Amino acid sequence: MKKEYQEHADLIKVADKRVNFWSKLFSSKPAVLAAVLIVLFICSALFAAFIAPYPYDKQNLPEMMQAPSKKHLFGTDELGRDIFSRVVYGTRISLMVGFLSVLISTSVGTVLGALAGYYGGVVDQLVTGFTDIVYSFPVSLLAIAVVAALGSSLFNLIIVISMVSWAGYARLVRGQVFSLKEWDFVEAARALGASNLRIIVKHILPNTVAPIIVMATLEIPKAIIIESTLSFLGLGVPPPTPSWGAIMNAGRAFILDAPWITMAPGLVMMVLVLAFNLFGDALRDALDPRLND
Amino acid sequence: MLRYLIKKLLFMIPIIIGSTIIIFLILHLSPGDPVNMIVGPNVTPEVYENISRSLGLDKPLTTQYFIFLGKLLRGDLGQSILQKRPVLDIVLERFPRTLTIGVFSLLLSFSIAIPMGIIAAVKRKTAADYMSMSFSLVGISMPTFWFGLLLLYFFAYKFRIFPLSGYETWKHYVLPVITVGLTDAAVTARMMRSSMLEVIRQDYIRTARAKGVKEIIVITKHALKNAVLPVITLLGMRIGWIFAGSAVIETVFSIPGIGRLMVDAIFSRDYPIVQGSMLILVISITLGNMLADILYALVDPRIKY
Repeated sequence: MKKEYQEHADLIKVADKRVNFWSKLFSSKPAVLAAVLIVLFICSALFAAFIAPYPYDKQNLPEMMQAPSKKHLFGTDELGRDIFSRVVYGTRISLMVGFLSVLISTSVGTVLGALAGYYGGVVDQLVTGFTDIVYSFPVSLLAIAVVAALGSSLFNLIIVISMVSWAGYARLVRGQVFSLKEWDFVEAARALGASNLRIIVKHILPNTVAPIIVMATLEIPKAIIIESTLSFLGLGVPPPTPSWGAIMNAGRAFILDAPWITMAPGLVMMVLVLAFNLFGDALRDALDPRLND
Repeated sequence: MLRYLIKKLLFMIPIIIGSTIIIFLILHLSPGDPVNMIVGPNVTPEVYENISRSLGLDKPLTTQYFIFLGKLLRGDLGQSILQKRPVLDIVLERFPRTLTIGVFSLLLSFSIAIPMGIIAAVKRKTAADYMSMSFSLVGISMPTFWFGLLLLYFFAYKFRIFPLSGYETWKHYVLPVITVGLTDAAVTARMMRSSMLEVIRQDYIRTARAKGVKEIIVITKHALKNAVLPVITLLGMRIGWIFAGSAVIETVFSIPGIGRLMVDAIFSRDYPIVQGSMLILVISITLGNMLADILYALVDPRIKY
């Protein structure tokens, strides 16, 4: 009887915590603003064809290198293409690279980290050693090396960014699993005859979701910056696909006469990255009990 | 202390070996035939054979790797395909420029970030804290190359304070150093703040305060030494970030350093140069990491093992 009562109280506590999480997350104004911005960017990626006033590759030489105006919100480039339209379409590349590479690297990192943390021993040593090496090697140099070897395309870019960023998740999940596996509920599951796979997937991993989500949210902007940096160096998505980095790279040659070609996409990108960073910080504050004083 | 350093040194070995394998493979994984890349597609079979043999391409891949490694150890990085000069000469000629930007931006970054992080932590939830954390958030969210272009446009073109391009005088290095230093400071300041916040919650700080030690002494003598440790660990990573980012910054400011050399060589398919410049970047990064480890061992007396 007493136990039942206790369980009931626990359930209430869990429900309380959930309500607390959402109210806490959206009680901070920056988090709300960031969430709205992220949704707006996702919409502009999905509905680029309706939002952009011109096709992204439509050349219009008589109107080349025009400063921002009502007709061309962000001005035009050296071929008379509308920068605003190109930036709107560029959202697609940035978000696609951001989401997909984080999805891949989270999956790879979580699987490897869980295996290392749960089984320990040789598996752990191998995974940890490998993780340490990848982790201590600077991301962008590794990315440049891989692109230099494989050539540049959207697909390669996503693979490259995933390849260089899974190590952080592996470390995080390994540490979490390592301590979680000693808990009584894992022992209980084992006593009931649950297989290792079931214990990892059903009992341990759900408890690591919160920090993984925080990390993933903060990794998306990093992936977006790496993509634009590689594209800026000319090692990203090949033209005429409008990626923000590529637009800025092309605009670099005209920065003195037409600074808007480089300034506008950079500013837009900064807003998106800032939104993800703010949202990630707010998520962490709402989820991390250590800061709840 | 010695054992700690040896352990750290041993850890470098797999990293260096791993990098040489990656760097070696770049040439072999890249699309296109290396011989055709050097002499063009229209060659007689005999010429093709000769060049292939002189490059050692007729041997198995593993043998080629060990030949490559052996040459590296003797300081032979091969010959540039386009410039027809030893890669080592070209790389060494350009390296000082990259190193200059790296060293000075790191100095600038730490001299801004450490005081800023401390003040933000000590004056938590005041205007000073919010201001420095906003600075840092904006810095993290800004692509380095874009910030560089912004500075270039305003301070070199509009106000004409600094030269637009070139690398001859110290003035050419001011904007690149500010660009890298400030963006890097944004990351480090955040780190310094959270580390300081962690430390000032500790019991020994409370004890020091209870003893009646002045707040400034508590912060600078008791807290700072402990709070700066994680930041020193970060130093290794920051060095890596700065060197790896040299390609970007040298592109923005048209400085012919290692990074720019590497990217140009990727486009012109001058693979020996790509390999050479990448290798020197990896070596610098590894040495930088080692330096950070030594510094850590010096600052933290607990490291004796």
